[in-house]
Amino acid sequence: MSSEELTTLATRLGGTLTPGPRSTVLAVPPDRVIDACTAVSSMPGWYHLSTITGVDLGENIALLYHFWQGRRFVQVRTQVPKSAPRLKSISGVMAAGTLYEAEIQDLLGVAFEGNPFLGKKLFLPDTYPPDAPPPLRKDSDPHKIRKMMELE
Amino acid sequence: MSEPEGNSKQSEAGAGLMQYSAEGMMPFGPVHPSLKEPEYFKLYLEGEKIVQVVPRIGYVHRGIERAAQERTWVKNIYLFERICGICSFHHSLSYTEGVEALAPFEIPRRAQYLRELVAEFERIHSHLLWLGLLGHWAGFDTLFMWIWKDREHILDLEEAISGNRVNKSYTTLGGVRNDLPDNLAEKSRTEVNYLEKRAEYYKSLVQSEETLSVRTKGRGRISQETARKLCPVGPLLRCTGIARDIRDEDPYAAYGDVPPQVQTENDGDIASLMTLRLNEVTDSCRMVKETLEKMPSGPFRVNFPRSVPAGESTFHVEAPRGELFYFVKSAGGSVPERVKVRTSTMANILTATEMLKGHTLADVPVVLTGMDPCFGCMDRVAVVDVDKSREWTIGGEELRRYGIEYYRRK
Repeated sequence: MSSEELTTLATRLGGTLTPGPRSTVLAVPPDRVIDACTAVSSMPGWYHLSTITGVDLGENIALLYHFWQGRRFVQVRTQVPKSAPRLKSISGVMAAGTLYEAEIQDLLGVAFEGNPFLGKKLFLPDTYPPDAPPPLRKDSDPHKIRKMMELE
Repeated sequence: MSEPEGNSKQSEAGAGLMQYSAEGMMPFGPVHPSLKEPEYFKLYLEGEKIVQVVPRIGYVHRGIERAAQERTWVKNIYLFERICGICSFHHSLSYTEGVEALAPFEIPRRAQYLRELVAEFERIHSHLLWLGLLGHWAGFDTLFMWIWKDREHILDLEEAISGNRVNKSYTTLGGVRNDLPDNLAEKSRTEVNYLEKRAEYYKSLVQSEETLSVRTKGRGRISQETARKLCPVGPLLRCTGIARDIRDEDPYAAYGDVPPQVQTENDGDIASLMTLRLNEVTDSCRMVKETLEKMPSGPFRVNFPRSVPAGESTFHVEAPRGELFYFVKSAGGSVPERVKVRTSTMANILTATEMLKGHTLADVPVVLTGMDPCFGCMDRVAVVDVDKSREWTIGGEELRRYGIEYYRRK
């Protein structure tokens, strides 16, 4: 898919396209992530889903879906507010994303509706205190969490 | 342990890819160390046949990504290479190249060649280690001893160039830590010539030896269709006939000048993984010699600033197990804003669960080793017999003996 076609796709999905030297960023609203990922993965060749990254931005959490082919990454990017960190899971259309979403759910507290791990733990222990913040959020204090778990 | 959710014969046999049971108690906390690779598979059986596999990860989660946000750019090199004791160099390589992409610095060509040299050393030793372990789990311990003895040759070279066999700390921001020691080029040529001959011998051995053939042919088979759906990486992908290698497709270090010959196999089973990895060992030996021959003279390092310009970088390398992914975000300070790591085994877990389905319990050690997991989790396999609705655990050694006895009786 050429840059023009990606721009058309971005416009159709109500998003923006930012070309970069290695990674082209396609920013879309949270409710269009599945459409964007499906469109990118069906681009000519085979865009492999490398992983999904969650980044704590303060008020929001950014989700970066990294697709790769050849010397180019296409990054589908969206943001969800920390006050309501929910969006639809891509695991239904892209099974490879299942564990990556489960990891973000554990570490940053984003709920992916439709993921088989929704509400269940993958990385964190089952004994992780339900009132403790997700450990990778910037406002979480590792020492406080350890105290809550009676490890200190 | 309590019974899993929906633990009826029908629901388990007809379960989807990722039916998950929320049982089991993890003994580690959240900010505990985080190798992402140790994991726990729950196997659901009908008699001997595996009908469902549920992974559970995180037993040694150390929170390395969080820890990285509180350490300087340079200190993180040593942190990240401790994620893995086998492909430690690839972790530091992917991290350093990812960070270097954010700064306007030209890394010396000699440093890039030296990085490729050590990366290929690591691939050779990792593949040999894997084949030795496979021999052990299949009951062919002689192979294990031969191969691990041969692997010492490459570990000696790694120690000679970096001072260490495991956590080499060889790459650094701006290049590599030290130049090639005197006489090491000649010694490396002698050693890889020897290993090339041994790889040829092992290739003929694994293709003709009955013990290995019975245990690996047709076992853990995956199709191209499954591979496309689940996105595995590295040899697990290439054994299905898909020629995809980051060193070739998206060259880093000096791979643009000394590229690999991408190896593929078509059967998608453990036997083809053995041949594939041995072919990769042979190819890596060729690349080591070619790298030494073409290595330019000049500096091996440039000074790198303590603060990295603000920006985001996405980088990946072809580790022995496949794509190793790093995302680095800098806010312009002396510590990273965010570093995300996706190890190869994390990408391969779902495929491993598919590889196990339809096989017997006796195949578990060989099939799980076949994916080249980066953990010693065999001691943590739980077995659930859905016919008898009972559950027990079986240790690694017990499972190995069970597999050998099963095929001996057959």
